[in-house]
Amino acid sequence: MKTEADYYALFEAYRAGKLAEEERTALEHRLAADPELARRLREFEDLTGTLTAYGRRLALRRRLQTIHAAMEADQAAHLPLAKVAEEDERREQFATGRAPRPLLRISRTEQKLRAFWQGHRATMMVAAAVAVLAVFATLLGMEMYRTAQKPSLYGYTVLRREVERIKRTQRTMNRTLNQIDVTQPGERINPGKFSGTGFALTADGYLVTSYHVIQGADSLLIENRARQRFRAEPVFTDVAHDLAILQIKDKDFIGFGRLPYAFKRGESDLGEKVYTLGYPREDLVFNDGSLSAHSGFEGDTGFYQVSIPVNPGNSGGPLLDDRGNLIGVVSGRQMDVQSAAFATKSSYLMRLVDSLSAAGSGRPYNLPRGNQLSGTSRPQQIRKLQDYVFVVKVYE
Amino acid sequence: MGKGLASYTDEEFVAAIRRDDDRALAQLYRLHFPMISHYVLQNSGTEDEAKDVYQEGVMVFYEKVRDGSLELSCQIKTYLYAVCRRLWLKRLTEKTRFGGHLDDYEPYLETGAEADLELAEERDRQLGTMSQALDLIGEPCRSLLEGFYLLDKSMQQLTAEFGYTNADNAKNQKYKCLVRLKKLFFNQYQELN
Repeated sequence: MKTEADYYALFEAYRAGKLAEEERTALEHRLAADPELARRLREFEDLTGTLTAYGRRLALRRRLQTIHAAMEADQAAHLPLAKVAEEDERREQFATGRAPRPLLRISRTEQKLRAFWQGHRATMMVAAAVAVLAVFATLLGMEMYRTAQKPSLYGYTVLRREVERIKRTQRTMNRTLNQIDVTQPGERINPGKFSGTGFALTADGYLVTSYHVIQGADSLLIENRARQRFRAEPVFTDVAHDLAILQIKDKDFIGFGRLPYAFKRGESDLGEKVYTLGYPREDLVFNDGSLSAHSGFEGDTGFYQVSIPVNPGNSGGPLLDDRGNLIGVVSGRQMDVQSAAFATKSSYLMRLVDSLSAAGSGRPYNLPRGNQLSGTSRPQQIRKLQDYVFVVKVYE
Repeated sequence: MGKGLASYTDEEFVAAIRRDDDRALAQLYRLHFPMISHYVLQNSGTEDEAKDVYQEGVMVFYEKVRDGSLELSCQIKTYLYAVCRRLWLKRLTEKTRFGGHLDDYEPYLETGAEADLELAEERDRQLGTMSQALDLIGEPCRSLLEGFYLLDKSMQQLTAEFGYTNADNAKNQKYKCLVRLKKLFFNQYQELN
């Protein structure tokens, strides 16, 4: 019985072609007949093949190392020669097979930093992106939160004034013009979402109110002191001067009758005694004061500043002087200033009406000419006036 | 290069390397090293890594040429570039957490580098197993086998070196060693697969 080692001797001789002719044919016959033996031969060949390949690989690696070493030695020899000019050196570096190395003069710390940057670049990018997103999300969220909080500012004004620190940081917020329209708690069938005040512009059914009262309205109802209601539609709005002209579109409506007041086209003087009528509650409320400035919130020359205590619901009410001339339309007030209310100047209202007349669309505007109020006492004036001041109810 | 070295065309290179012309190999090595070195340095590698990658690439090329199985469909330069690029990409993936990021272009030519590399990898595994098996086999088998197969020493030389009484003894010893190596090698190889 042959050992495996003996077989290997045989195989080696066979592969080297050192077997005698008859031995070789005998072996080949056996190989064909005996698959076990054939497998052994394959294994032997695999093994020796891999061994020699391994040997060659090692040899090749050594050769390449030698070549590389030689190349570097060459370079070292050539570099000093080429240092004559910077340009030459660079060319020589390329020619001798070494890429120019910008990393050569980098300090150790910088090298570390660079390695760190290489390794964590992606992380840092992501972090930066997240940070930027977070900042903007926070800003946006704050803004939205502030907008949502706005209605509750009414009740907080006094409190804010006491806390000096908060007041300073939030001054800009406080200085906003708080427009006077507010939900009126309803006691009847569908009282409407907002309400304001309006007054007659002509005898045949045009009315004036503030633009912000009817802003976003689906339908409008006009209600007089006698609880009579008329359906109205906006004819024209002027956002900049906070004005809206409505027209009553009701079949039952027969007209207001002759208007007792006249519209003043010029400007009124400071110190003029003025008063207004409005519906801050369910009932008509009178308030008076004087004209305190020729400009409104933040110097807006389209408005007067008046020292009349006004409340939500007064918006769109008429502002009249002592002689019963209509000089403005109440619009809003400033929260952090003592009794500073604002009213659109009647000159702007007149200009608007004139331009609408000139455009010639719809029914003509027959403005009242005479003034029946001048010279009468204030209670008398109000008695005449009260039928021409209305609640404007807004449905959304 | 202007340094008194003969310059070869691609075909001449292949022919010369097939003849095992040492000078041609050195020439080829020097010719393309700057490209790969530059490439690796640009893509967050070091000089040493460039050297390793390049040598591996040249080895793949060299062994293909020696096998006679090389079917070059592009320039040697492009082939080497493609092979080394793959190799470096693999190393980078192993090195960094975020996978290899390379700012370069992928050669759109069909270089055959991909398939060649897979074959080479298989071969690397085999040779790695062999080197492990040789590590395990112990003396004097290791020296004997290395002497015969790796260093191409003759049996007479080895007989003298190892102090055997005659060449036949040495031969018998060699066959026994081969059998042991075979067991180690195939065991390891099967474990790996």
